[in-house]
Amino acid sequence: MSTKHSAGLGDRFGDGLWYVYVGLVALFLMTPLVSLVIASFYDGRFFSIVDYEFTLGWYEAALTSGSVRGAFTNTVYISVPVTILSTIIGTAAAIAYTRYEFPFREQFKLFALLPIFFPLILLGLGMSMWSSQIGLGYGIVPSIIGELVWISPIVMFVVSITALGIDPNIEEAAKDLGADTITLYRKILLPLIADGVVSGAIFAFVLSWNNYYIVSYLSGPQSTITTWIHGRMTQGFTPVVPAVASLIFYVSILLVIGAAVFEYRSVDETK
Amino acid sequence: MSTMDTLRTRIDALGETDHPVRRLVTPPGILVIPMSVLLLCMFIGPMLAIVVFSFQTGNSIALNPLEWSIATYQEVIGGMVSGEGVYGDVLVNTVAVSITTTALTLVVSYPAAYALAHKITRYKLVFLMILIIPLFTSVNIRVFGWALFLVQNGVLESIVNLFGVREYASLMYMRSTIILGTTYIYLPFMLFPIYLSMLSIEETTLEAAKDLGANRLTLFRKILLPLSKPGIIIGSLFVFVLSLGANVEAEILGGGSIFTMASNIQYSFGYSQNWPLGSTQAVGLLLITVVAGVVILRTIDLQEIAARGD
Repeated sequence: MSTKHSAGLGDRFGDGLWYVYVGLVALFLMTPLVSLVIASFYDGRFFSIVDYEFTLGWYEAALTSGSVRGAFTNTVYISVPVTILSTIIGTAAAIAYTRYEFPFREQFKLFALLPIFFPLILLGLGMSMWSSQIGLGYGIVPSIIGELVWISPIVMFVVSITALGIDPNIEEAAKDLGADTITLYRKILLPLIADGVVSGAIFAFVLSWNNYYIVSYLSGPQSTITTWIHGRMTQGFTPVVPAVASLIFYVSILLVIGAAVFEYRSVDETK
Repeated sequence: MSTMDTLRTRIDALGETDHPVRRLVTPPGILVIPMSVLLLCMFIGPMLAIVVFSFQTGNSIALNPLEWSIATYQEVIGGMVSGEGVYGDVLVNTVAVSITTTALTLVVSYPAAYALAHKITRYKLVFLMILIIPLFTSVNIRVFGWALFLVQNGVLESIVNLFGVREYASLMYMRSTIILGTTYIYLPFMLFPIYLSMLSIEETTLEAAKDLGANRLTLFRKILLPLSKPGIIIGSLFVFVLSLGANVEAEILGGGSIFTMASNIQYSFGYSQNWPLGSTQAVGLLLITVVAGVVILRTIDLQEIAARGD
């Protein structure tokens, strides 16, 4: 770092402007989420900041409502298997791509990561038609398989980035010292990519938890929390909706912050 | 010879001959198979279903491969070319929304990405968190949040009331409201690719250019722009393609008054139950998506992202 350019009132003012700008972008990104949380605690018909009437009533109503609880249960039934399976599938594919040479390796990567870039509406409606043709039908299981198509590639992406950051010589050394394949995985490879796998799994859960398009096409008569919210938005709004949406949001935010802290700590350790 | 020994010799024999079965049950074969099977069954299959259904006749919901028809293509493409009927409007709306969204997200993201990579040092993690959280919140919830913000008797109205504005005209249900929604939803998809490419520009390069007397404009034109080009390409394609598929935004913020390609596809499948017609429109989206996706993946260098650490 050269010291020539630092200091100086003008520069510091310029740097301050950058903070203001990024702050404004952050504010823009937070606007609807903050509005949601404010509305979820508001007791009354016409919204007003000046005389804000605070209540927890909508949360209570949300947690005691049978249809909301059913939707929550369905969402968990989908998200948990999706998290486990996509973590296994995505991690396996990432290890294959980053740690082995095989024919059509680049094509495999291209093919496996392609679903990430698809608009979800396209995946959803294609799966919906396909599901009815092959007799898979609609419900919890088709939703799980459908979400896996989009989420496993994302896990593969996250784990690949971690795995590519590891020195391949470590494995060579282990092999030279006589480690067989299982020992190599258990003692060397998996511990080294563990951070990537954990963040991949957290992302998988949060994405599945919040998924709307794919489940809306595949869940059939089962309502999940996102399709429930969508239904209430388009027909029959009640003040419970902001509370339910906020609850979903709190779970997501806690997990994302958890994942970030986890990543940050592990990056710090390696430095 | 015991069973175990027999088995062992057989496995060894497999290894020596490099038997195809053995290749499948050892890495990398066994690692590649789950992903490949999953995608073949539930990704390639569905995309084929879209293409095949687009050539079916009438309101069929069961495949009849013997009856081919290009009637729906004539209807959709004919309508778009002549600009008559709903398809002319759909084309104009969709292209307008997607191009405006791409341009707006680029203009907003570029300075922010630069600042995050090179100017922001304090609270950087906090800023990154705030920018990343919307990505992990359901599109429904975010769009709903905007609706709560914008509607009459909503949050925005109560804020402008503080400043003495009494006549609040609702900002909902307009084309610009949809664009606000799509710009908001897809902003992170522009911001992060550009941010990552900005990170690859060394601080010393910028310092050196300044020392050699480059002014701000030269610095931007000769260094920042060329070096961040991969990020701009990836981000733009990403945002363009994803906003083509924006449906919830048009539905909730547009209130069904403005039809885009995605909402029209949804309509064909939902209300009018016309799968071939919906599929024909989806084929257009599919072609654009595959081309853009392949270009993006060829531009992304995973190795380089990994080398940057975090």
